[in-house]
Amino acid sequence: MYQAKTGFFGMYRDEVSLNPDVGTWSWLLHRITGLILVLYAFMHFFALSSSVGGASTFNAWLANLQTPLTHVLEIGLMAVVGFHLLNGLRVTAVDFFIWTKPHKTLFWIAMIILVIFMVITLIVFLPRAFSPHH
Amino acid sequence: MNGKTGKGSAYGWLFQRITGLFLAFFLILHTQMLHFTKDWKIDFNVVTQRLDSTGWVIFYAIFVPAVLFHAFNGVWQVVHDYRPGLGTAKAVKALFWVLGLAISAWGYYLIATFSKGA
Repeated sequence: MYQAKTGFFGMYRDEVSLNPDVGTWSWLLHRITGLILVLYAFMHFFALSSSVGGASTFNAWLANLQTPLTHVLEIGLMAVVGFHLLNGLRVTAVDFFIWTKPHKTLFWIAMIILVIFMVITLIVFLPRAFSPHH
Repeated sequence: MNGKTGKGSAYGWLFQRITGLFLAFFLILHTQMLHFTKDWKIDFNVVTQRLDSTGWVIFYAIFVPAVLFHAFNGVWQVVHDYRPGLGTAKAVKALFWVLGLAISAWGYYLIATFSKGA
């Protein structure tokens, strides 16, 4: 008999153990990327709030954020946004058009688009991260 | 879905997808415009120039509540994974609505700050 896992992440570990499939992994990754994006959105909002102090305060905030590390982190952000966006479109398409049968194929199509997007992102963002001007 | 959340769950499901579709469109435009352009530069003037246009103000005015609904409803789904009791569920929902509305109001104030700066 299956022994349910305990602990804070028990139910998620149960899902993965009992149904280790593309649908489960994409569901879990959607949850994780979503939570990362919520944290990022609040940080983004917080940084934008510096505009209350006027142009000089806002520009000083932005200048502090233009470091090689933040540009590298932005590449990770693009991967997180890209996954959440593309998988979200897949989930919506499956729900609205009842495309339950090809849902796995749609997932891999979304992942191919994500890889292409990430190659473009690396080409654009990497030089910026190592440019002395930013 | 359990029966406790009832009709709210169906609306939550639908609005999560509608706001998600809008956010997908918005984020593609937003990141393309701000990060994938050749003359890449962001400062106060760049933002205020954009918010000088009524179209962009309307766009961001829709974006703020859309992203907050999507974010809080998404976190609510994670809370729901833990099968909260009726009292906890109501309290968390109420907290998320208050936070969402308060941050929306703050977002509108920030849009106004940038618009005035133009």
